[in-house]
Formats: sequence, C-alpha cells, structure tokens
Amino acid sequence: MIAKLGTDSMNHLETFLFWSALSLEILLCGFVFTRKVQRILPLFAGYTYVVLAGAIGVWLTYEYFGFSSPISIKAYWGSILLNAAARSLAIAELCHYGLRAYRGIWALVWRVLTALSMLLLARAAMDAWGQPNGIAIYGATLDRDLALASIVILAVLLIFRNYYGLALEPLQRAIAVGICFICAIDVIGNTILRNLYTGYLFAWFLEGQKALWPALSSQVQRVDDIWSTVHLFSFMLSMGIWCFALRKPIPARAQAPDLLPASVYRELSPAINLRLSAFNDRLAELLKP
Amino acid sequence: MNDLSIAILLAIAISGILVWLLIPRHKSSKTAPESFHPGAINALPTARHYGYFPQVRQALSAADAQYLMETAPPHVAKQALRERRAVARRFLKGLHEDFSNLAKLGRMIAAMSPEVSHEQETERLILSLKFQILYTLVWLRLSTGNLPLQQLEHLTGLVGRLATRMDEAMAKISALSARPLAGGLGA
Repeated sequence: MIAKLGTDSMNHLETFLFWSALSLEILLCGFVFTRKVQRILPLFAGYTYVVLAGAIGVWLTYEYFGFSSPISIKAYWGSILLNAAARSLAIAELCHYGLRAYRGIWALVWRVLTALSMLLLARAAMDAWGQPNGIAIYGATLDRDLALASIVILAVLLIFRNYYGLALEPLQRAIAVGICFICAIDVIGNTILRNLYTGYLFAWFLEGQKALWPALSSQVQRVDDIWSTVHLFSFMLSMGIWCFALRKPIPARAQAPDLLPASVYRELSPAINLRLSAFNDRLAELLKP
Repeated sequence: MNDLSIAILLAIAISGILVWLLIPRHKSSKTAPESFHPGAINALPTARHYGYFPQVRQALSAADAQYLMETAPPHVAKQALRERRAVARRFLKGLHEDFSNLAKLGRMIAAMSPEVSHEQETERLILSLKFQILYTLVWLRLSTGNLPLQQLEHLTGLVGRLATRMDEAMAKISALSARPLAGGLGA
C-alpha cells in the first residue's frame, strides 16, 4: 500500500503500482480460493484475504478522506500492522504444518518457537513503546521488529527441519521464500525509514516545529515515494512467487508417517550418544601432546 | 556500527541462511523419514570406511616409512610421505562420514519417535558440534605434519565397534518397522 505524508493525490507511478498490486492481490486470492488452499493452510489463505481487504479498505479511505489526511495515514499504518499480524499467524501455521505428525519433534520444537516468539514480540513491543510521538514512527518500528521476528522464527524452523531431515513441501517452501523476502525488505526499509523519521526529519512530527514543515515537505515526500515503491515492488514479487507456486493443483497431502515404538528411541538414543561421545574422546586424545 | 548497519547486515545474513536452508537438496529429501522402512535404513551407509583400514594402516605404517627413507631417493621418499598424509586426510574424512551417519541415524530415530528427550537431543547436538571442532583441529595438525600418522591407529578399535553397533541397531529397527504396526506405534 501507499501512503504519502503531505500530498492529496498519488502520482502516476504510485497509481500504477497501487493498481498493479491490487490486481496481483486479486489474482493471488483467486488462486488461493480455486486451489482450496484454505483446506490445508487456512491461516495463509486468511493472510492473503486480509492483504486484499486491507488494500481495498485503505483505497476507500483515500477516496473519502484524501490521500494525505490523518485518517488515511492511520489507515495505511493500521493495514500494515494488520498484515504483519496475519503474516505472523501464517508463519505459526507453517511451523505447525507437517511437523505435528512427528509428535516427538513437534513437542520439542513448539516450546522453542513459542519461547522465541514471546521474546521477540516483547522486544518489538518495548522497542515501539520507547519511540517518540508519531504513528509513522511507531508503525515503522513495530513493522520492522515483527518482520525481523518473522525471519528469525522461519530460520529456526528451517534449521530444525534441516537438522532432522524433514524437508518442506514445494508450496510451503514457496510461501516461506515469499515471506522471508518481504520481511527482509521490510527490516531494511523500515530501519532506514525509522532512522530518517527520528533523525533529520523528526521536526515533521512535532507540532512546535511547524515553521520547518514547508522546507521538509519535499524531502518527506521523496522518502515516502522511494519506500512505497520498494515495498510495493518487493511485495508484488513475493505475491508472484506464491502465484507461481499455486499455478498447478496442490498435490495430495502426504500420509502421516508410521512412527516407531517409543522404546526404540529410549534404548538407542543414549547408546548412539555414548558412541558419539567416545568418538570425540578419541579424537581429543589425538590432539594431546 | 549503528542501528541501521546492524539491521541490514542481520537481515542479509539471516536471509542468506534461509535461502541456503530452502534450497532443496536431493540428499536430505531422500532421507526424509516419512516412513521408516528397511529400505531407508539400508540407504544409510554404515561405518564403511573402516573396511579399508587394514590397507590404510599398511600404507601409513612406520615400517613402510622407514623402508622408504632407507631405500628410495630423498625426493621420492618426500613425495611418498606427502601422499601418505593425503591418504590419512582422506581416511579422516571417511571417519567423519561414519560419524555423520551415526548422528543422522540418531536424528532419524528421534524424528520417528513419538517421544523425544530434549536432554538427549541437546547432548547429540553438542557432541556433533564438538566433533566438528575436533575434526578440524586433527585435520589441520595432520596437514601441517604435527600429528604422527600412527596415532590414527587408535581410532580403529572404536570405528570397528561403531560399525558393529550401527549394524545391530539398523537390523533391530528394520525388524521393528517390518512387522505389523502394533498399539505402541503412533501415527
């Protein structure tokens, strides 16, 4: 979505990007609906619908209240944070999907991921709380921290999966790639934006500095233009990845694995660890003078 | 380094890790334990490098080295010693593979188990990390000529027992997974 502080209408590039993104969002929702993604990944399907609904909602706000009205700015940042929340749920679903069948590993993984999520969310809340006044500064900080949390959670999930040899299915992999890409861009972009807002553009958010606003207006617009363009392009690329993954019908869900009796693990795991430990001891002996 | 540089570097680094993790690898997908049938177990090689140890030991023996130094021209003896060290490094690499296979077996069993002990899993992870460090140090010392080749012989007994143990474990799991799934099997 696009939001510009200080003007009343979108320029040609912004108009083009807005309608392109909206078209792609409609296409993605169409794919999601026709491929019945909601049956296997309901929260990801919900995320795509939230993105579309948010875009339409913000566009309606622009139409009624003007492009740069305070309500439009709030609606824009509200939709960004709503998207981030829906994306977080989609990531949680990605963590759960496929791993729940491996009960032992899932019991181990969910605790780690939950603890990590709590930590990262608390950090995001504290970081946003300490920001100076201004919805844009709050929004940029919170969006950046949530994006960073998303990347960390995805990385930990993939490390676990890689470690235990549990590969992601192609659709889930494409979803993870898309989310990772948009989150990486958001972290970088929002950090730059936040630094500018809290740095030399800070006067733009202070009522007492109104005298400086005309001088800052063009710079604020330029910053917003660049960030909006980069953000929209990257988001469109992510949606393109998801659309590409959904171009073919989704393969039937893999059967649940046949697990071994718990006694196998109880008996063999300590024995394997003992052997690995002996191997290390012998290697360490080699290094002794 | 300011906030901006840290965030950008962090995002790039983590994204790099993610991309690396997301690249499909045939090796890992082959061993993805969707069901634990005997075929999957047989696909995992046991401590096969141990089988070549008698030949390697012969090639690395002190007697052979002594004989070379006494009878061969100096440049030939030097080259032979260099090659012997290369053979020792390759053998060490083979041992690394054997260790990895055993660790992989442990992870496969954990993935297919309805209950997993986090102590056991943490211990195995630490052991694997420790092995990587030790392996690198041994490899470096071997490459720089600071490790007598004969010391590798001490590893043989261990690897031999490892091979036997792995074969026993795999046979046991094969037998368990081949028989009809009883009440103890989760799904």
